[in-house]
This record gives sequence, C-alpha cells and structure tokens, in this order.
Amino acid sequence: MDKPTTTNPVDRGLLERIAAGDERALGELYDRYGRTVYSLALAILREPADAEEAVIDTFNQVWQSAASYDASRGVVAAWLCTIARSRALDMARARGRRARALERAASLDALAGFEPSAVSDPGLDLGLGELRQLITRSLAALPEAQRQVIEMAYFGGLTQSEIAERLAEPLGTIKTRTRTALEKLRGLLESQRSEAAS
Amino acid sequence: MSGHESLKDQVAAFALGSLPDDEHRFFLEHLRQCAECRAEVQALAAVTGLLGLSAPDAEPPAGLRDRVLARVGGARPVLAGRAPRSPAWLATAAAIAVAAVSTIWAAIATGRADRAERQLGTASSRLAELESTTAALVGRQVHMVSLAAPGQRPALRVIWNHDRNTFLVIAASLPAAPAGRTYQLWAIAAGRSPVSMGTFKPNADGTGTAVLPVSEAVTALGFIDQCGLTLEPEGGSPQPTETPRLIGTWSHLD
Repeated sequence: MDKPTTTNPVDRGLLERIAAGDERALGELYDRYGRTVYSLALAILREPADAEEAVIDTFNQVWQSAASYDASRGVVAAWLCTIARSRALDMARARGRRARALERAASLDALAGFEPSAVSDPGLDLGLGELRQLITRSLAALPEAQRQVIEMAYFGGLTQSEIAERLAEPLGTIKTRTRTALEKLRGLLESQRSEAAS
Repeated sequence: MSGHESLKDQVAAFALGSLPDDEHRFFLEHLRQCAECRAEVQALAAVTGLLGLSAPDAEPPAGLRDRVLARVGGARPVLAGRAPRSPAWLATAAAIAVAAVSTIWAAIATGRADRAERQLGTASSRLAELESTTAALVGRQVHMVSLAAPGQRPALRVIWNHDRNTFLVIAASLPAAPAGRTYQLWAIAAGRSPVSMGTFKPNADGTGTAVLPVSEAVTALGFIDQCGLTLEPEGGSPQPTETPRLIGTWSHLD
C-alpha cells in the first residue's frame, strides 16, 4: 500500500549532510522546517519562550541522530514533528503545565475548519504546503467528537484513560472512537491525495 | 479473534502515543510477535506523523535560527581550548587522583614501604581509572545527563562520548545499593521500551565512577531522550522492574 506521503530527495540529502557533521545543512533544514516545528511546539506549550527551547532541543536531536532517519518510515516533516512533539510534551510535563497543554488541545478544537494560514511562507516548499493542506482538510472532515479525541491525545499528550476521564465517557468508547477516527483520517488522506494526483 | 479485535483499538492509541506506560510496554511485546498489528501501526503512524502539521501556523522569533545553530556549534572537546568551567562533579573525578597520590605520599613519609607498595598498586588502578575517565570526557560529540530528585542537586551524571562509544558514569551522592541489588541505567526513547545502559555500584560514600561501553541495542535506538536509574537484582534486569528513582534529559555538553 502506498503511504500518503513521499520523501523529498532534498530533505534526504540534507539529512545525509547533517549526519556527516555539516552545520550548514542543519541551517538549511531549519529554513525548511523551523516554522513547522515552532508552530507545533507553540501549539503544545503555548509559551513562546518554551516553544523556542523545544525547537532548539529538536534540532539538536536531529543533529545527533540524523543518521538514524529511515526514509521508509515516513517523510522528514513527520519525523521532525514526532521529535518536536515528544520534546514539547516532556517539557510540559516536567514543568507541571500539562493542564495548560490540555487547554490548548481544547482551544485547538475550537478552531473550526483548521484552515491553513492564508500567508504562505516562502521557506516552505510546495510538498510541505500540500501536506499541511492535506492533513488540515482531512482533520476538518472528521466528525467533531472524533477530531477532539485525536487532538487531546496528540497536542495534549493525554492517555486514553485520561481522555475518557475528562470527557466523562467510558474508556472503551474512547478507544474505539480513536481507532475509528484514525482509520477515517487515513482514508481521507489517501482519497485526497489521489484526488490531488489526478 | 475477539481478543485480537480489542487489540486493534490499542493499535490506534499506540500510534498516537497515548497508551499508559504499562499498556505501551505490553503492546510493544505483542507487536514483536504480530505482523498484522505491526503493519497496522505502520499504516497509522504515517497518518499520526502528519498531525503536527495541523498546528496553527506561527512565526518563529528572529534569532531562533542562530540559537539552534549555536547549540550544535558547542560540540567541541570539553577539555580543550579555553579553560573550561570547573563544575563540582568534575571534582569527583579529580579527587580520585588526588586521593591516590596523597595516600602514597603518606605511606612513603611514614617509611612504610610495604604499605606504600600496596597503595601504589591501588593508586595505579585508580590512575588507570582516571585515565579512562579523562578519555571518556574528551571528544567532539559529548552529551551529558544529570539525574536528580526534584529540587535536589544531581546525585549522578552520565557523559556519553560518541567518538569513543562510552558512557562515563559519575556518582556524587548515591545511596549504597542494598545487598544483592545493583543500580542500572536505562536509555529511554519516546515510544520504545527502555534499553539497559549497564549496571554499576557506587562506593560506600555515594561517589564513584564507571565507564560503560555503549551497546548495540542502545545505538539501535537512534536517539535517546532521557536516562533513568533503577535498583535491580544483582546482574541487572532485561527491563526495569521499578519506576525510575531518578531521571534526567540528555543535553549537549559545551
């Protein structure tokens, strides 16, 4: 089965140079993805100063582990998001600010439609812009309750039981809803992608 | 099959990283044996990996790029160049050498040749230890983690020298391990089971150093987020048997 994404050869080249210790390549990677990583960190942490720290940590980790990037496991943007999310959630936990991260998840939920920003960043290549549109449109197409559980887990860093508790619903319901939501999201991404390709 | 069907719900939560730790570990075990669930996780992970792109677009502050690059630019030998700061933990390593030398002087001064000889043996091994300690500190790629209880000074530090592929463990104030138990360090990477970095025991006074080789299992993790410390039965455990007593996040040493 095709994955809903493709790996950009420019990104792959950059990671190879980073793995070889080329700092300029890290700068170029930042130019491509710094904004994406910062936006994600800010969505989780809410405080610009904390988000900055998470970005620095994220790129530092990329610097250390570029050699371990495996293109068959996803695009560079996804890999970076995974690292950034993990750093940001760790920071939120360490600082006892999970409650605020949670509020963020709730307020993200209120952003109906999740329309991508109208301002296009010249630093973002087309591939990344398309990916953003793809995921935001697909998320927007999910029923409200399904989008909510995904966002609480992803941006709020909550476990399934914590989500169940907060929404005052049975754990089994939340688990099934999460699964249904992700599977639907996968279907939406694939159909949107083939639409875009045709 | 219905048992397996219920695991399908776990697949989604796992791909989102939203299983509690114990269930996460349990499911990871299951994944090792179940190709169907593995394929499912991979397919969903391609989706969850993109969720971060849906965050509202925000403009990073000017100067962040420079700070990102400055951080990695700090990857220089810690004992080279300008006089490095002399942090307290480094004193632990230096104290080993000082103690070794001073006991020999004391023995020679009191004319106790036999004792001096014996202590010379001890001193040589301590100096050899110091030598490997120093070697472990020098390298272009060095990372450090400090493990401390909340609000306390770090009880333990670990320095990871990528060039030499070693972990240098420096204990500053660690309670002695009870009989039949040993301390074990764990490499913790998000979404993976902890991987053992090795075992060690501090001296009776809570200090001590050890140089542990970096195993292939640790290298295979790709990157490590955190380092945890547990007390385990003698010889160590394949997986931690308790919640880490101390935990710390790796950072660049510069």
